[in-house]
Amino acid sequence: MKSVSELTDFYYKALYPTLERLEKKRKALSHRIIYSYIILGTLALLIGSALRELFSDSPDAIGFFLALLLAIAVFLYKLLSKGYIEQFKKGVMHPLVKEAHNGLEYRCDAFISEARYEASELFSHADRYGGNDYISGSIEGVKIEFSDIHAQKEHRDSKGRKSYSTIFQGVFIVTEFNKHFSSKTFILPDSAQKSFGDLIGSWLQSKNPMRGELIKMDDAAFEREFVVYGSDQIEARYILSHAVMQRLLEFRRKSRHPISLSFVNAQMYIAIHYGKDMFEPSIFTSLLKHSLAMEYIQNLTLLVGLINELKLNQKLWSKHE
Amino acid sequence: MSIPLALILIFGIILLLIYNSLVYKKNQVENIFAGVDAVLKKRYDLIPNLVASVSRYMEHEKGLLAEVTHLRAEATKPHISDEHKIALDKQLSSALGSIMVAVEAYPELKANENVIHLQHTLHEVEEQISAARRAYNQAVTDYNNAIEMIPTNMVAKLMNYTRKELFEIPQNERKAPDVKELFH
Repeated sequence: MKSVSELTDFYYKALYPTLERLEKKRKALSHRIIYSYIILGTLALLIGSALRELFSDSPDAIGFFLALLLAIAVFLYKLLSKGYIEQFKKGVMHPLVKEAHNGLEYRCDAFISEARYEASELFSHADRYGGNDYISGSIEGVKIEFSDIHAQKEHRDSKGRKSYSTIFQGVFIVTEFNKHFSSKTFILPDSAQKSFGDLIGSWLQSKNPMRGELIKMDDAAFEREFVVYGSDQIEARYILSHAVMQRLLEFRRKSRHPISLSFVNAQMYIAIHYGKDMFEPSIFTSLLKHSLAMEYIQNLTLLVGLINELKLNQKLWSKHE
Repeated sequence: MSIPLALILIFGIILLLIYNSLVYKKNQVENIFAGVDAVLKKRYDLIPNLVASVSRYMEHEKGLLAEVTHLRAEATKPHISDEHKIALDKQLSSALGSIMVAVEAYPELKANENVIHLQHTLHEVEEQISAARRAYNQAVTDYNNAIEMIPTNMVAKLMNYTRKELFEIPQNERKAPDVKELFH
């Protein structure tokens, strides 16, 4: 596995010709988007003033008009940037993933299947589900797959209008765990204890019948960060040995975002709550900007390094058979 | 409804909740102890095989092997108290640890496949025991807290609940084990 500095070198040296070419495209694209928005805005003003009388009678029509405008703006943005995004992913992300670890495959339009998302039992059922940037493969003999996903819930108001709220947006990781287990264990970000203090927080935590019993862990730092539920008090502690708890805390610190984990059916599922799409090219800032490159590289090395970080390659004896 | 009656009712409900929570905590300790028992039994099952495999080579450790066999026989007797089991487990853990250290001095044993396999299985069981001990200690801590804290302690006294003993967690279990070293 390559380090952050090795990948940074690769980004600025081997990928430089591609980045330069893409940078020209990016500039042209950003201008195109701005121009088309100016035209769209002018058109909207013209149509708006022409239909002034209609709008003054019906406030609903204004709402409809604005919604239509927004839809056109989003559609235009997607249409214009599509080719550029594809070229970025093929020309930059693909070689970067291969360079990070040659046992990995990258597909920009695929994502973790909805069945896997449901199997993790981490989140509620999604009515709208999608994702991209699917990376899969085997690192030191351990199978791993991850991608960006966006799971949404559908709502309908009294008039039957649909709207969507986000259940989860971020990176979703599925990998094998190196110990046998048959129960279910859930490790969630501890929001109750943080916001309500120890006493009320732990009382609130104990009221979560959907997840199974509350499991109090004997590591104060881990308990501050996470809350654990599970169907088996002993097995949950077998999975979460003191060493594993420390490694998960370290992973949480490096990811800089809340993480949720579940251990179900011999698999480990990790959801990193980034709240946005990762590995997307910038349109209004330069691709050569150092902070942007570091964001791609750090996120990638965090994910590819997961197996080593959690020492999942050190399988138990009986798992070899 | 008059105020005194309402107060008595509320008091009754609180008493009932406290009673139930204490019973729950006591049962939780017992349930988890059953789990501890199950993994301890796994280890007892490994001991005869281990002793048989190493006794041919280990001339100087005969006493240690006899002690392990004796402790196992003692621990698998029916109807022994939880406290006694905990005490036996502690002695057995340290005796087994000494055998594992002694194995290092015998190259034939270190290379013996059967012994290697037993060592790994034992290591896995030890990890399970460690998890079971931690689960038990947490349940006992919750139980002990309840019978010592106000107001649950008053009800606990009436129910004749007494403090329970914790498992001692060996210091080396608190450290992250270096699995690589164990397996290679």
